[in-house]
Amino acid sequence: MSPDILNTIEVILNGLMTGVMYSLVALGFVLIFKASGIFNYAQGVMALFAALTLVGFQTGQIPFAHLINDMFGTHYHNWGVGFNNFIAIVLTILVMILFAWLVERLVLKHLVNQEPIILFMATIGLAFFMEGLGDLMWGANIKTLDVGIPSGGSFWWEDVTRTWASAGSEYYGMYIDVLDVWAAAIAVLLVVILTLFSQYTKTGRALRAVADDHQAALTVGISLRTIWVIVWSIAGMVALVAGIMWGSKSGVQFSLSLIALKALPVLILGGFTSIPGAIVGGLIIGVGEKLFEFWIGPLVGGATENWFAYVLALFFLMFRPQGLFGERIIERV
Amino acid sequence: MNDAVKSDNILLEVRNISLSFGGVTALEDISFDIRRGEVRAIIGPNGAGKSSMLNVINGFYHPQQGEIWFDGKIRHHMRPHEVAKLGIARTFQNIALFKGMTTLDNLMTGRIIKMRANILWQEVWKGPAEREEVEHRQRVEEIIDFLKIQSIRKTPVGKLPYGMQKRVELGRALAAESKLLLLDEPMAGMNLEEKEDMCRFVLDVNEQFGTTIALIEHDMGVVMDISDRVVVLDYGKKLADGSPDEVRNNKAVIDAYLGVSHD
Repeated sequence: MSPDILNTIEVILNGLMTGVMYSLVALGFVLIFKASGIFNYAQGVMALFAALTLVGFQTGQIPFAHLINDMFGTHYHNWGVGFNNFIAIVLTILVMILFAWLVERLVLKHLVNQEPIILFMATIGLAFFMEGLGDLMWGANIKTLDVGIPSGGSFWWEDVTRTWASAGSEYYGMYIDVLDVWAAAIAVLLVVILTLFSQYTKTGRALRAVADDHQAALTVGISLRTIWVIVWSIAGMVALVAGIMWGSKSGVQFSLSLIALKALPVLILGGFTSIPGAIVGGLIIGVGEKLFEFWIGPLVGGATENWFAYVLALFFLMFRPQGLFGERIIERV
Repeated sequence: MNDAVKSDNILLEVRNISLSFGGVTALEDISFDIRRGEVRAIIGPNGAGKSSMLNVINGFYHPQQGEIWFDGKIRHHMRPHEVAKLGIARTFQNIALFKGMTTLDNLMTGRIIKMRANILWQEVWKGPAEREEVEHRQRVEEIIDFLKIQSIRKTPVGKLPYGMQKRVELGRALAAESKLLLLDEPMAGMNLEEKEDMCRFVLDVNEQFGTTIALIEHDMGVVMDISDRVVVLDYGKKLADGSPDEVRNNKAVIDAYLGVSHD
């Protein structure tokens, strides 16, 4: 094979890996949107908050240390001992469940039956609140997150692909980050678990019922509020997975919350109500922006990755506003 | 059926119910009861408060005044899903089905309050959970046979014609095996043949399963044929209450339906 084709394959592979990361964030959006019709602007911040909390537990940080020190003139920063990965992850999951419960108690409960735009505004408020809370609890510095997932380029893959190049050509093999491969595998596992859960369990059936029709769900004896707590808890766990992946890749920093914005074009492509849509949409955006940058980028001076996804989404809105997998929008007049 | 009516065995009683939205009074001091095993009709002109009454019984609305007694116990401020667990199922005037699910799945979801297996069992999906699933499927298939909807078992209900959707909705309400079944205009928008089918189903449910039924219906022919007792509402007030014959000859009822006579 000529190096050109191999380079293209490499770009596509890396695009797929990036796409998986987008899908992970989009997945959290879809879960909440399906069950409650709320576009949860805070999903990105939830990923950040989950990652911050995980690092906090791992390194034994004292929550609200700065606040406590300022108020009482003390100098506490660290317990001295941290939890191991497994316990830290379990504790973080518990924190996200507690968070889901609080959101239902303090926000959603009071806004039932309000316009979607009002609920959307509430989640914007929630996003800013959580960002501030994360800052106050764990500090604003950039943290490294390591839960033992291997990372770095795969030499094995480099060696294998080098032999694919046609004899005599200068080709040094493909670069692929092992962390990305792990992220892809975990994302697939997550989708399989979520699908099995929603298809084959009583709670899953209730979730599907609520997603389909609130009134009917109430009538057959399903408590909307319980379901909302469950859905936000699941979205919190998905956020944790996304937070671990993004955090391991580029450090836990507050710009992490901005990846939520990248999920928006993914959702427009895949449809707001479809779990497979979130995955396929993420992959298309990931591959699309990498290929565009590779082929067209040099002609227009590069940096196309910043805007390509949004232009693609705009294009989609014109021709298929419900997305690839979304429910068809039929308006009766 | 007649024995049940004669015996003074009350399943549900509403006492002095008043409901208003802001300044608009929807129900004013309404009292009536529903006896075990009877078919009870609630009739009245448009806007009389019939659907509001069902929504009060069902827990969608909370009356400002009055008491609701069900199965010998007073009920305090219950939400709809709690009412469902208590044993009251219902259908809606404008059909509330899970449109993306198949007929079979809709009926299975109707049994959700009967399902017990806990989360851990569900995950491993063996033993009790599996046995329970089989048991629920069996009951649901019986209902499907009863309503003669075998041919649409696997069809997403959003694709079914209106009359069939109404039938599936009845099926889902039956799947809960509740004590009281509330039907909000079960025959609205149906043709004669579909109405006859629905009438037979309602009567069969009442006779075979012994389910108590309260229904709202505009077709007076149907109401007088199938119900044991009729309560008439108008402008949120109770106008009359009694057997179909008594109601038919009640002067206030005639006035409300045909306009006031001046003789």
